[in-house]
Amino acid sequence: MCCSRNYRDTDLQYVEALEILLQGLCGVNKERLRVHEICLKSGPNLGFVASEVRLLCDLEQSEPTWTVKHVGGALRGAGVEQISVLVRSMVESKASKNVLRLFYALGYKLDHELLRVGITFHFQRGAQITVTVSSVNKMLKLHATDEAVPVTPGIQLVEVTAPATSENYNEVVAAVSSFCEYLAPLLHLSKPGVSTGVVPTAAAAAASLMSDGGGTTL
Amino acid sequence: MSVVYCHIFRRLISYNPYRKKSTTMPLKRVFFWQPNAGSTVNSQILNEVSQCVESINGVKEGRWKATLTFYKPMLRDQALSAEFPREFIGISLPEQPNKYYFVLRFNKIVLESDSSIQLIMEKLQSYKSRVALNFEGFQYQLGDFQLRVGKVVPSHSENLRGIVMEVEYLPISSLEKSKQIMEEFFDIWQDAISKRSLPGRFIHIEPDFSDYGLADHYTSQHTAVQYTHVTSQLIASVQAVQTGRN
Repeated sequence: MCCSRNYRDTDLQYVEALEILLQGLCGVNKERLRVHEICLKSGPNLGFVASEVRLLCDLEQSEPTWTVKHVGGALRGAGVEQISVLVRSMVESKASKNVLRLFYALGYKLDHELLRVGITFHFQRGAQITVTVSSVNKMLKLHATDEAVPVTPGIQLVEVTAPATSENYNEVVAAVSSFCEYLAPLLHLSKPGVSTGVVPTAAAAAASLMSDGGGTTL
Repeated sequence: MSVVYCHIFRRLISYNPYRKKSTTMPLKRVFFWQPNAGSTVNSQILNEVSQCVESINGVKEGRWKATLTFYKPMLRDQALSAEFPREFIGISLPEQPNKYYFVLRFNKIVLESDSSIQLIMEKLQSYKSRVALNFEGFQYQLGDFQLRVGKVVPSHSENLRGIVMEVEYLPISSLEKSKQIMEEFFDIWQDAISKRSLPGRFIHIEPDFSDYGLADHYTSQHTAVQYTHVTSQLIASVQAVQTGRN
């Protein structure tokens, strides 16, 4: 399972301020992020229901590493609407470099591909939380990651995610929500698919963070 | 065991009490039992093979088990089945408990992944397990060699379908450099097993690893490819016996 909230920032100066804020909150160094995400869908005859799988190639490593990712449906049931965080099943598996060839041979087709470039923080705060701030880029030619261009120039995606089990997801939801509150002066995160605007305090908060590198308490 | 065998083995096998496995992956050859024409594999042959290993001072260490699964595509129109891989195989190996291997024999593709890939395949529902074979038995230490002798049985049955043997040479990972010593070991093994006058012999047909993009340095992906090929040879062998009967 995975709990997540997203945000779209419209001003790159906020990204720099956000980085300073995250550095202070997380207590860990940022890591660079450069991931080629290949989304495959089953061909027309394969499977009684269509299926989708994502192959992630981490280009930031000296030797690219591959991960197979399946994202399942969102948690359903009474009270789910009241949960401020999206909870859905997710399974990941590291794989060797032949993984794309394998899935093509099995009858999967390329649906779309993206290149995510940005930074990421991994830290423990009530749950193992990952924060990524990234631009989403599309490739003009097949698999040409060196020629990627932003899907929406000037807009970054902020994602806060944490793994959970069916037994502890309530605690993880609380941890993610609590962490997101610390970002509130600068940005407001919501469930994926729910649009948000720029918070009124963003400009002042960003200016404060930029002026003294985050020493001022927001 | 005769004095002659002792002498030859000491040339090949270093009886080093402090022997430890290579820090890289030691290489192995997987053999399958080929019955003579008109005979079939049975548990008596398996017992004789195990006794033969012990007779050449193989020290029994414990059990081992590998599983090979045939996956079939779930198709809305069976008439289009030719568009999909004929053999899509998944393998779990005892020396890599957190890994899973996929092999597409006709496409010459091998993949190593975390064992969670099995859960992903279940969720995708595009391919499902059709039949699984267990390779299981005992492993033996013989100086710098490790031998595994095992029966091949369907996962929900005790019907013996075959016998396999793994010969692993611990100090070396290079296929090329190990060729001579592996062949010398096997010659000695053949000599020992032939004295039991069993109706068949062990065969090793080495796959062309380079077709799968695998290098000279041995890995568990090489083992997965060997098990795929051994299984197809076993199946062909069983079918040949059945054809002969008919």
